[in-house]
Amino acid sequence: MGTLLGERIKRKEDPRLIQGRGHYVDDVKLDGMLHMAFARSVHAHARLKSVNVSAARAHPGVVAAYTGADLKGKVGLVPCAAGMEGLKVPDHPCLAVDKVCYVGEPMAAVVARDRYVARDAADLIEIDYEPLPAVVDPEKALAAGSPLIHEKLGDNVAFVAKLEGGDWKSVEADKSLKVIKQRMINQRLAPVSMETRGVIASYSPGEDTLTVWSSTQIPHILKTQLSLMSGVDEARCRVIAPEVGGGFGSKLNVYGEEGVACFASKSLGKPVKWIEGRGENLVATIHGRDQINTVEIYAAPDGKVVGLKCWIIADLGAYHQLLTPAIPTLTALMIVGCYNTPNVFVETKGVFTNKMATDAYRGAGRPEATYIIERAMDLVAHELNLDPVDVREKNFPSSKEFPLSLVTGVTYDTANYQKTLKKVLRLAGYPSLRKEQERLRKKGRYLGIGLSTYVEICAMGPSSRMPAGGWEFGSVRVDPTGKVTVLSGTSPHGQGEETSFAQIVADGLGIPYDDVTVYHGDTFQVPIGIGTFGSRTTAVGGTAIYRAVEQLKKKMARIAAHKLGVKPGELEFKDGKVETADGQKSMTFVEVAGEAIFAKQLPPGIEPGLAEQCVFEPANYTFPFGAHVAVTEIDGETGEVRLRNYFAVDDCGRILNPMLVDGQIHGGLAQGIGQALWEEHVYDENGQLVTGTLMDYAVPKAFHFPWFETENTQTRTPVNPLGVKGVGEAGTIGSTPAVVNSVIDALSPFGVRHVDMPLKPEKIWKILKQHPGN
Amino acid sequence: MKLEGTHTILAPRDLVWQRLMNPQVLARALPGCEKMEQNADGSFGAELKVGIGAIKGAYQGRVEILDPAPPERFRMKVEAKGTGGFVKGEATLSLAENAGGTLITYSGEAQVGGLIASVGQRLIQSAARQSLNQFFQTFAKQVQSS
Repeated sequence: MGTLLGERIKRKEDPRLIQGRGHYVDDVKLDGMLHMAFARSVHAHARLKSVNVSAARAHPGVVAAYTGADLKGKVGLVPCAAGMEGLKVPDHPCLAVDKVCYVGEPMAAVVARDRYVARDAADLIEIDYEPLPAVVDPEKALAAGSPLIHEKLGDNVAFVAKLEGGDWKSVEADKSLKVIKQRMINQRLAPVSMETRGVIASYSPGEDTLTVWSSTQIPHILKTQLSLMSGVDEARCRVIAPEVGGGFGSKLNVYGEEGVACFASKSLGKPVKWIEGRGENLVATIHGRDQINTVEIYAAPDGKVVGLKCWIIADLGAYHQLLTPAIPTLTALMIVGCYNTPNVFVETKGVFTNKMATDAYRGAGRPEATYIIERAMDLVAHELNLDPVDVREKNFPSSKEFPLSLVTGVTYDTANYQKTLKKVLRLAGYPSLRKEQERLRKKGRYLGIGLSTYVEICAMGPSSRMPAGGWEFGSVRVDPTGKVTVLSGTSPHGQGEETSFAQIVADGLGIPYDDVTVYHGDTFQVPIGIGTFGSRTTAVGGTAIYRAVEQLKKKMARIAAHKLGVKPGELEFKDGKVETADGQKSMTFVEVAGEAIFAKQLPPGIEPGLAEQCVFEPANYTFPFGAHVAVTEIDGETGEVRLRNYFAVDDCGRILNPMLVDGQIHGGLAQGIGQALWEEHVYDENGQLVTGTLMDYAVPKAFHFPWFETENTQTRTPVNPLGVKGVGEAGTIGSTPAVVNSVIDALSPFGVRHVDMPLKPEKIWKILKQHPGN
Repeated sequence: MKLEGTHTILAPRDLVWQRLMNPQVLARALPGCEKMEQNADGSFGAELKVGIGAIKGAYQGRVEILDPAPPERFRMKVEAKGTGGFVKGEATLSLAENAGGTLITYSGEAQVGGLIASVGQRLIQSAARQSLNQFFQTFAKQVQSS
């Protein structure tokens, strides 16, 4: 390996993004383009007696208006890819037919010459509702006599999944074990990507081709699905993900609005654009989390955890989106965290309610798992009067035990949990923090020190365990000028792989980093691909590129060796040359490219051209881990939590560019801490979303945070030749429990053992008020 | 959302009752009311232009008087829908003679939905209270000057 990997290289993407010169879906303007707007349900649950679009149709500038009935049989249903045994899948039309099941559900669409006309005309659609009782609490939805979201399904249970292993009989018989129980709520969140959703569908009747620009994380999967939904032959469908301004999982999806846009364009023979408003984004783009968890831990007096039981109630919302029911199953899969607990029982119930669907949001099921187990480890420490550090160390497997097969059915690749924990404790100055806490308590000030040691599952993943393939495509091509074009089937949207992929290629070929250009997000350019989610882009997509580079080097070495009269194995790629170690025999990289492409004197059996591709299939997931410490102080007057320090030591395997890793960690921490302290998407009891603006939904700002002290350890994975694991979600997964543990630690003098998130001042203030002694 | 309050009108109870049942008087007193007419079934149909914070819109409403016990008490059922969503509610109004005037006591519960719920949640209670105060003030003036 050369020297580019591991370098703190500035992002190729940034100059255009920082200067506002990137092109997002809304920047694409086509000839004759029409604009679409939706009429959305104001009721959480109602029968549609009539949807009358005649006034909208008659409005000047309106070209067409559609209801659910107009689309019936002409556009496919919104797809769910989670192929789980016994899963109930309700029909999910792009526009509601007969009935609406959540506030914000699209019922009709208007297409007009102008965006504002479309919006105004959507308000002219007359809808006659017959309101039905709504159910928003999943526990009430499970109760007998609850309103049914989908009458045909018989009840509101989408699935029940069990994960069980070990010897529970002997665990339950062992009376020396302490059983610690806690119910905790993992509240509903809004992903809030900076760019909302957006789509342009452009159907050409002459060619019978459908081109779709979408703000998506999965252009190839979207192409397949839109082909099925619209009935246009997949070979004539093209999806382009231009610049995408964040997704956090919310754009790992196929939405009804995309299906309607394709239908409208196909019907009208004109391009049709829809750009989601922020209000629509909060109400009708998937939400994250929303679980009720009851955990039961069986611990020995010395803190050794022997068994874990957990009952998960996952609020799925009204319909399945692409992966809705699969998300909580990841919670079950990762529930033991970084402790090799031999006895596990998890029951997961997916429940329909009259709310927007939940689906993947940064971490997707794993933040919930980490929250459960890391809160539980602190409860063990609390109950047994042990230090949370000691409890964790007591339960860590040693680094020599890896690969480690767990009772949950996954095999952790590599780890050294002791090392990250030790490092973060040193970084935070843990013993002196404890002393400071003691000192301040005497003065009536409440400092909290919270710990989280997490492991997550990423680099998704082996195809055998993924709903639609877990491999990834990469190709590398050298053109006659010696410039290199890289294609990736991933679809980064802010993570910076145009930079890290160029590092992999430039490093391998020994050429300048600026000579490499990375393309992704266009299904006509990149033949096949899966996309960007589950912290897979570098570990799976980067490996495909790395392998393609290795193949390309083999070919170039053979061509150069033939020309130079040496053996291919004697040649090295460095400083823009292909040469022998002593530098005596040498060709420039450009010369070798010319030999290959002009093909005058190729060695026998070598095809002309320099373009290699690879489809990488990972044998396993990867399991990044880390240790975080959050230091908080509670304001005794107002109950406000101030995050004073945050220390994070993350291990995402080998690091290709520390600046990209830092960026991912910082952003992830902001979202994870946001959940712990402020963020909460709230429906009232009638199913009205009351946090419908960013004035009401508290996305944290930079001033809410201290500078994050981040460091790394690097434990490589054998799952891919680069040794990288993935880092896109780690910050979010690790931070939420660290902050909550910290606040609970601060409140421990008041006898508090648990408070549900978000830890808003009013909740803390009430606790402080109950203890006037403070 | 609960709405409760009292208002004193310096006019005899019979007159206040009579005016409360008169759509023309109500239309003039109700903020943003562009039209109010009695429907064939006895209910009142109204067209309103109301703004709460950033959400301004036109609403079609229907007001129904239930269990009238003149001149003491009636129940009122209100339903309105429009571009910003919907409002529905029920209230009881009672009229009591009070030092030569009339004391109106109202108590009701309202539910909002759609955009007004998701955007206007923080403002809706105070906006509703303000509208009610404005209504009673204008109504009082009209009744007292007649």
